Amino acid sequence: MHEISLVRNIFRTLESNFSFEELEKINAIDLKVGLLSNVEPMLMQSAFEAVVSAEGKFQNTKLNILLVPILVHCTTCDQTSEIKEYNFVCTVCGKPNNNVVQGTELLIERVHFN
Amino acid sequence: MQIVRTSKNMRGSVQCDNTTMHLLQANDFVADAIRQEVRKRNILLINIVSSAGSGKTTLLQETAKRLKDKLNIKVLVGDLETERDAARIRQAGIDALQIVTGGICHLEAQMIWQAMQKLNLDNTDMLIIENVGNLVCPASFDLGEDYRVTLIATTEGDDKPKKYPRMFLTSELMLVSKADLLPYLPFSVEAVVKDAREINPTIEYLTVSSTSGQGLDEWCNWLLEKVKEKKETTQEKELVVS
Repeated sequence: MHEISLVRNIFRTLESNFSFEELEKINAIDLKVGLLSNVEPMLMQSAFEAVVSAEGKFQNTKLNILLVPILVHCTTCDQTSEIKEYNFVCTVCGKPNNNVVQGTELLIERVHFN
Repeated sequence: MQIVRTSKNMRGSVQCDNTTMHLLQANDFVADAIRQEVRKRNILLINIVSSAGSGKTTLLQETAKRLKDKLNIKVLVGDLETERDAARIRQAGIDALQIVTGGICHLEAQMIWQAMQKLNLDNTDMLIIENVGNLVCPASFDLGEDYRVTLIATTEGDDKPKKYPRMFLTSELMLVSKADLLPYLPFSVEAVVKDAREINPTIEYLTVSSTSGQGLDEWCNWLLEKVKEKKETTQEKELVVS
């Protein structure tokens, strides 16, 4: 995927939400990444390091990546089930289901300050 | 402000509001603007995606030949470099504009919005986006389209859908292309449809060949039908408003 541009998006998002003084104090960013987001955590970490060293920003900041599974919600059984091996079925009734309620996320979930 | 601030001076950790700290937020914002614009102008917007070399441009050339007298069609085509694809589509008789991404692996809504300003969209029935040949990245970028159409060529192998699940999950129609080669290849249409429907039970499919012409009438009829539906739903909404 295009991890470098996503890292730049993280920086931009933070810079538009926090003041210069606050940005200086950020020591960790928690990123929530769904299995369907096509983001590879290891590549994201290297992209983060690359952009940090190229731009000189967020030098003391750690990137934590939380990978979340794919969940679908079945309206017939009113149950949520986890999708394994991309078999999009409700695990309760076994019917095909692509009503994804989790798994496409690409979010900054939490920001930690000194 | 999207973050709950506990004090003027941030300390500890801060929970972010997920919807506003979404990394593709800028893209999705522009995609919504595109959706509104095409609805206002009564234009059907189609996003065509596939791997490189599965026959998107050739299909569009054949589509142009068959539909140019029935519909006013405009095409936006994305590639890393060159004007080649737009030139090919223009030769087939429809207006096409090339978006050169300069190395970017997908089209983003902002690129579509800018390109739309350069097209004359008056009286246009359908705007087709031919995305960059890539089944990974374009899947994550909403371009404001009404329908996403994924091509999978018989030369690619029938096990592709599970390898690129998000693309097939977000597509409404799958076109199995280069169907004229089916007798020579170990490719099963049944297997690819099964694989795709395990991800997306509602995905429709058509088998097409731009070389032999197989399935092209069905494909063109599908487009004509969707153009008609779009115009009807827009008119219904207008009636409700008035």
